[in-house]
Amino acid sequence: MLEKNKLQILLEAALQTGADFAEIFLEDTASSVIRVMNGEVTSIDRGNVFGAGVRLIQNTDEVYGFTNEVSYDAILTLVQNLRASFSGPLHKAVPLGEAKPYVDNIKRPMESVPVSEKTAKLQKLSNIIKSHDPRIVQAIAQLIETRQKVWVANSEGVYQDDLRTYTRVVMMAASSENGLMQQASEGPGRYMGFEIFDALDLETLAKEVAVSSITLLSAEDMVPQVMPVVLHNGFGGVIFHEACGHPLEATAVAKGLSPFVGKLGEKVGSDKVTAYDDGDVESAWGRLSFDDEGKQTQKNLLIENGVLKGYLIDYRNGRKMKMTPTGSGRRQSYKFSPTSRMNSTYIAPGTDKFEDIIKDTKYGLFAKKLGGGTVVPATGEFNFAVQEGYLIEDGKLTKPVRGAMLIGQGKDVLFKIDRVADNLEFGQGMCGSLSGSIPVDVGQPTIRVSSMTVGGAGGKK
Amino acid sequence: MYQSWLKLGLDKGISDLEIYAVKNRSLKLSVYQNKLDQHVQSQVTSVTIRGIYNNKLSTVRFENLSQINVDQMLNQLIENAKALTVVEPAIIFEGSKSYPVVEEDKFDFTSVPVTEKIELLKQLEQGILSNPSVAQVQTTQYQEVESETTLVNSKGLNLSRFQSYAYAYAIGVFKKDESDIQTAYDIKLAKKFSDFDVEKMIQTTLAMGLAKLGGKSLPTKAYPVIFSNEMFSDILNVFGSIFSGEAAFRNMTSLKNKVGEKIFDSKINLVNDPLHKEAFFKVPFDDEGVACSQRYVVKEGVFTGFNHNLKTAKIFNTEPTGNGFGGGVQMSNFVLQPGNTSFEDMIKGIEDGVLITDLIGLHAGVKTISGEFSLQASGQKIEQGKIAHPVKMIVVSGNFFEMMNKVVTLGSDLKFNLSGVASPSVLIESLMISGE
Repeated sequence: MLEKNKLQILLEAALQTGADFAEIFLEDTASSVIRVMNGEVTSIDRGNVFGAGVRLIQNTDEVYGFTNEVSYDAILTLVQNLRASFSGPLHKAVPLGEAKPYVDNIKRPMESVPVSEKTAKLQKLSNIIKSHDPRIVQAIAQLIETRQKVWVANSEGVYQDDLRTYTRVVMMAASSENGLMQQASEGPGRYMGFEIFDALDLETLAKEVAVSSITLLSAEDMVPQVMPVVLHNGFGGVIFHEACGHPLEATAVAKGLSPFVGKLGEKVGSDKVTAYDDGDVESAWGRLSFDDEGKQTQKNLLIENGVLKGYLIDYRNGRKMKMTPTGSGRRQSYKFSPTSRMNSTYIAPGTDKFEDIIKDTKYGLFAKKLGGGTVVPATGEFNFAVQEGYLIEDGKLTKPVRGAMLIGQGKDVLFKIDRVADNLEFGQGMCGSLSGSIPVDVGQPTIRVSSMTVGGAGGKK
Repeated sequence: MYQSWLKLGLDKGISDLEIYAVKNRSLKLSVYQNKLDQHVQSQVTSVTIRGIYNNKLSTVRFENLSQINVDQMLNQLIENAKALTVVEPAIIFEGSKSYPVVEEDKFDFTSVPVTEKIELLKQLEQGILSNPSVAQVQTTQYQEVESETTLVNSKGLNLSRFQSYAYAYAIGVFKKDESDIQTAYDIKLAKKFSDFDVEKMIQTTLAMGLAKLGGKSLPTKAYPVIFSNEMFSDILNVFGSIFSGEAAFRNMTSLKNKVGEKIFDSKINLVNDPLHKEAFFKVPFDDEGVACSQRYVVKEGVFTGFNHNLKTAKIFNTEPTGNGFGGGVQMSNFVLQPGNTSFEDMIKGIEDGVLITDLIGLHAGVKTISGEFSLQASGQKIEQGKIAHPVKMIVVSGNFFEMMNKVVTLGSDLKFNLSGVASPSVLIESLMISGE
């Protein structure tokens, strides 16, 4: 996009009026969304995100600007506008170093696969869902492909590029019976190209989506109560993501807006809980080789046997907190200044068996699949929706239930985890926060929370 | 530039094409602890081209406006159109006969010095902080946006609209003790800088936050529930998609065969009102160039018909309703018409009920197709016709379609939210509340 020597000059220019850190972020992203509905290819949309973001910092004060006009002159004008916010002595930029190689193991990049091959695979998935049961009225299979190319250069000599390839297949079934409609979906994603179709058994998953939407037709409304909840592996990890992951981000910690402030080395959960955030899980949806500040991603220990071990820290909050960044500086695009975010966040496997956890639960809710959730970091309150749930009665799964909503307090729930199974899996999602919407993995083995408030529309009206 | 792109597309064999371009300028300032914490400025033009090739419509969006990239994007558009199998109407519109005249908001926010904007934020932050129950102000933000939308196509349509606005807010963190922390904010939208009334903004935020302190959960059971005007707007916003012609065509709404039927209580009038005088943004035409106008979606409880863009109107053999936004069908200024009961009178008759002033997690706890919702909420307990105490950590659950048939009273306090949905406060006969 812009030559290294030009970037160097721009960084020097940025430091002339008192800023002590400058960073230029360039991006050229291609994306495509192919949608198949009831077997027909209904839309193919193509997207391109292209531009430059410039960040100047003096101590911990930040100015940021962005434009889709990527030229030396346009960026120089932006730099001049931005630096006018500061006054102070001139700083020198460290000469830009050499870029390190990023992991480039994509077998079938989006451009290399004919559209007809993609649509054929999607049509097959859509047909599997549709043909499962006549009550299925809509069967959607969608392929979302992204190839994000970024360059980061900063006044501390960092010069780094990275190429991120994300592919996701979203399947959705809508079923209808006697005027009642239900829907179920799955959306596995990987840091991969089209080889995701070889790596995952998507046809079996399509079948499961269909079964799930039919099961919901006969499910009963959840009767609200406080009860033990068994959260299944994979996307169940959204509980940890919402309740603990966000409050461990430096954006919350640096301002004292988190129940985990000042608790390093202290007990924040039950002995059963060990948790990580890892930016470099092979082929994971939440991975990238280098973060959006040019720092290599790494595996960060957050909690070990219930004791708080670390936060997720970006460059600027690292200055505020006087702590080292953890490779967690991320942003949706050049339209956002980077900040501390999660990658693949998970509770480590324990020693329990899934079957035993169910067997040992006299009465409770088995949350097989969770939908989305929210947390307010300042208060620690969180909620998340159960997409597919079953009652546990006398150690057995019995009736399917729908419309269950789990609520709680992040700092309480970690102490209430009393069983952790050995079956760690990841689920994929898009996480929205200050620096936009980014791909993340949530993960956990099956766990049991001894008591939670479960909302629902069932019971006596 | 755009005309030459149209020509390039036609030369490539695209039979009709349309360019939708948005040029955006924005400035964002945030203050933290009486200091400017972040300053963000931007200038971005993004372009969407829709084109018809072999009677198939395909879309490309891009920000790299170089000639080379435009050429590649048009080639891609053709490749993608070839791969579509569906047979659906593909329409590029020649334009409506006439368009409503909307007074454009043209205030030039750049004419106000940045220092004055920062001063506004500092005053707002310090004013809120001066209350002893405020532990801190999480962030205090100001943003101004200028956006110019251009719509040109190969059928000779050439339209544009301009918007200029700013908003500001502060998130106060209110604290009684370690176990009772609450946040509150009130976003103030302005069409000119002098619309910002700092003192009023401080008082509103404080009132909201202080009302939340001391909240407790409730025994689980069904209660009469009042949703505040803001919260009911948020609920209507989520359920707006059930009235979409696209959803009807895709079997993704349970209203599919219910046009002309009574679906809600007869007190309910829902209007798609793009030019409503109280709306923050008035919209003269949709993203496909169709003129916008007022239309009842539900009249006295009866469903009058779906909202349509060009494609779905053709499929259902009707006229487009000016709801072609964002590549699909969406509302622009959606209004639940108010009743004439004041908020105070609404509360008076309630012995044991709940007022909901906050809903958290609307993106996750709602199923628009089935109508089911289950949402984390907080608000106030109502006892013997009076506000008794704050409540928090409850879940309100129900079904939208059933709820809209159990509306007891519509308030007179119509309020627009920033997404362009307006509602009064609404009293529902009974909803399940989950708590302790």
